[in-house]
Amino acid sequence: MNRALCSIAVALFGLALVLPASGTGGQDQDKEILKIQLPKPMFVGTPKNIRTPNLEPITGKPRGPFLVPMGTVLLSAGKPVTASDKEPVIGELSFITDGKKSGEDGYYVELGPGLQWVQIDLGKSSPLEAIVVWHYHSQARVYRDVAVQVSDDKDFIAGVTTLYNNDHDNTSGLGIGKDREYIETYEGKLVDAKGVKARYVRLFSAGNTSNDMNHYVEVEVYGLPAK
Amino acid sequence: MTKKAYRGLFVCAVLGALFVRTVRLDLRPMHHDEGNQAIKFGDLLERGEYRYDPNDHHGPSLYYLTLPLARVLAGRSLAATSETMLRIVPALFGTGLLLLFLLFAGGLSAEARVSAAFLAAVSPGLTYYSRFYIQETLLVFFLAGLIAAGWKYLQTRSGWWAAAAGFAAGMMYATKETSVILFGALAAAAVIDRLLRPKTVSARPWGRLAVLLHLVIFAAAAFVPAWLLFTSFLKNPNGLADSVLAFGTYIHRAGEPGLHTQPWWYYIRTLLYTRFGHGPVWSEAFVVALAVAGSIFAFGSEPGKDGHPRLVRFLFFFTVLTGAAYALIPYKTPWNVLPFYLGLVLLAGNGAGVLWRTGRFLIVKVIILAVMLPGLLNLARQEYRANFTDYANPTNPYVYAQTSPDFMRLVAAVEGIAAGHPEHERMLIKVVAPPDETWPLPWYLRRFKRVGYWTDIAKAGDLLDAPVVIASAAFNEEAARNLDGGYQSVFYGLRPEVVLSLFVRQDLWEGYVRSRAAESPARRGR
Repeated sequence: MNRALCSIAVALFGLALVLPASGTGGQDQDKEILKIQLPKPMFVGTPKNIRTPNLEPITGKPRGPFLVPMGTVLLSAGKPVTASDKEPVIGELSFITDGKKSGEDGYYVELGPGLQWVQIDLGKSSPLEAIVVWHYHSQARVYRDVAVQVSDDKDFIAGVTTLYNNDHDNTSGLGIGKDREYIETYEGKLVDAKGVKARYVRLFSAGNTSNDMNHYVEVEVYGLPAK
Repeated sequence: MTKKAYRGLFVCAVLGALFVRTVRLDLRPMHHDEGNQAIKFGDLLERGEYRYDPNDHHGPSLYYLTLPLARVLAGRSLAATSETMLRIVPALFGTGLLLLFLLFAGGLSAEARVSAAFLAAVSPGLTYYSRFYIQETLLVFFLAGLIAAGWKYLQTRSGWWAAAAGFAAGMMYATKETSVILFGALAAAAVIDRLLRPKTVSARPWGRLAVLLHLVIFAAAAFVPAWLLFTSFLKNPNGLADSVLAFGTYIHRAGEPGLHTQPWWYYIRTLLYTRFGHGPVWSEAFVVALAVAGSIFAFGSEPGKDGHPRLVRFLFFFTVLTGAAYALIPYKTPWNVLPFYLGLVLLAGNGAGVLWRTGRFLIVKVIILAVMLPGLLNLARQEYRANFTDYANPTNPYVYAQTSPDFMRLVAAVEGIAAGHPEHERMLIKVVAPPDETWPLPWYLRRFKRVGYWTDIAKAGDLLDAPVVIASAAFNEEAARNLDGGYQSVFYGLRPEVVLSLFVRQDLWEGYVRSRAAESPARRGR
């Protein structure tokens, strides 16, 4: 009996020694941590220095057709523009509605750093169908916290409709936006206005991936003429 | 100039140079090349491993010279190092360069040495690349060391100076294999100088033997550091031979039209006048004009009471030959202007020195000072702009494929997201981008234990495994499709024209946004 007890005790002691050594118990005994060797970065020499404008879009896919009601016209051509930055660093606010969309120097207006807005007064409240904005398409860059709002109130206090907002973390205080950021191309960004009736269009941005400034080459607002 | 004034002014120049080279070294985001060098250095720091790569990265001196300080401050952990810890090495060598000017006594007058020191202290180009973790400033330091030790040797005929010159030459080669261009220019300048001087017969019959012995000392002193460093202190016996074989790679790269092809006048334009778009005007024409004056004076009768035309003429020939060689090579990057620039600064110092001595009356000296001081202040203003405000602005002529400050927002976002992830630094990060759109990510993600880099999205496995995915713009749409809408995507600029997208699992992103909202508005950027 004593010999049997001694044998059991020795067996249990042996098991106790083995179990911690295995590191796992029960059903994981025959398993081990999978060690994944992740690939290291590849070394490569100095990359290309880019200083000159490049008019090529980098995504390469043209935007598909956008359908609007019959009779839709460009409402914003030559309309007055105001902005949060009263004295643009480069260019004039009138560039925004002058119909010239070239990506070269001399066609864009540069507003100061941080959150800035520009506002177009369409003259009359009209059903809006599409708003297309070109910030700066001579270089692949992304503008921060782009938001497009419309209203009949020139101070954007009452009756404000937000058509587009990609401020994902609400750093600009316009509320968390769910729209995706995009890379600037010569096609501009088309925002569906969904027929909302408004007289004023306000566009926000807060710098871009290349610098903290804000730029506009052109903004086009399409809609049905006011009756 | 009195000795007291000379000492005081020289100390001011050195202290000024030290200040502008070492303050706020963390300001500029790491460049692609700096990231490469830093990760390469990491292998040496953490595992004691260095193997010369004949295809890239140049010589090993930068890594071995970084090692002592990094070992003391960061142990064996690259994660514990910082931008400042690495950049302090070229910054100190960039300051040490000025001290080497002291050795030009006898060849350059005291006024010339002080003027050269001030010009080097505030030079936008020399300061910018003294704050840059690449080999160029070390190369210029050892080049100046070679010329200075060579000059001292000519004055003293001492074997010690021959050894010092040899050591500097060896370190030049161990810094950049392309130093052979500079060796060629130095040799050609010496030959021209010899041909232009009247022949003299040595009065001492043993003179030739002594020169031969000193040449052997020079060669041995040059060979030893290059041999030890290229062979990783004999661990890689083929290292030195590989460095010679690398000439083929560099000759091919220098001659072929590619990413860095520039016209022959690129460096001259960079120094004389640069203006991009609406940016400010950059010009170091003041240095060039003084250098031209200094060169003309070198062929006059009197370079200065305590100067010697031989050294100045040699510097002139060397600068012209180096400038011509670099102009003829189609491959050009702005940091390659530095060896040529060293000659310009010394010649400009001579120009300023002679002008100063020429004015025998106080009024003339006042007029000269009135002309020179604005030039120096203008350089200092540009130096400040280059290093402290426009350090990443593409309108700065020394900014070249520089990482955008916006990229630091990506780094901050990844670190903030990891802070909210249960595994913190063990959080899996997948990077899918071509190599030229990857750097300096490996440097900034060095603290993370599980980061994988792929150049093809198909080989990166299931992206949903990783809470954070960083993709180049070319892979953006495919990555978004693979991640099935459950991730927030945000774009960040890497360099002009190069955008990276950061994909973060939605729950982590929302937690990150909440944590940022809790921070004070002043601390938020994006």
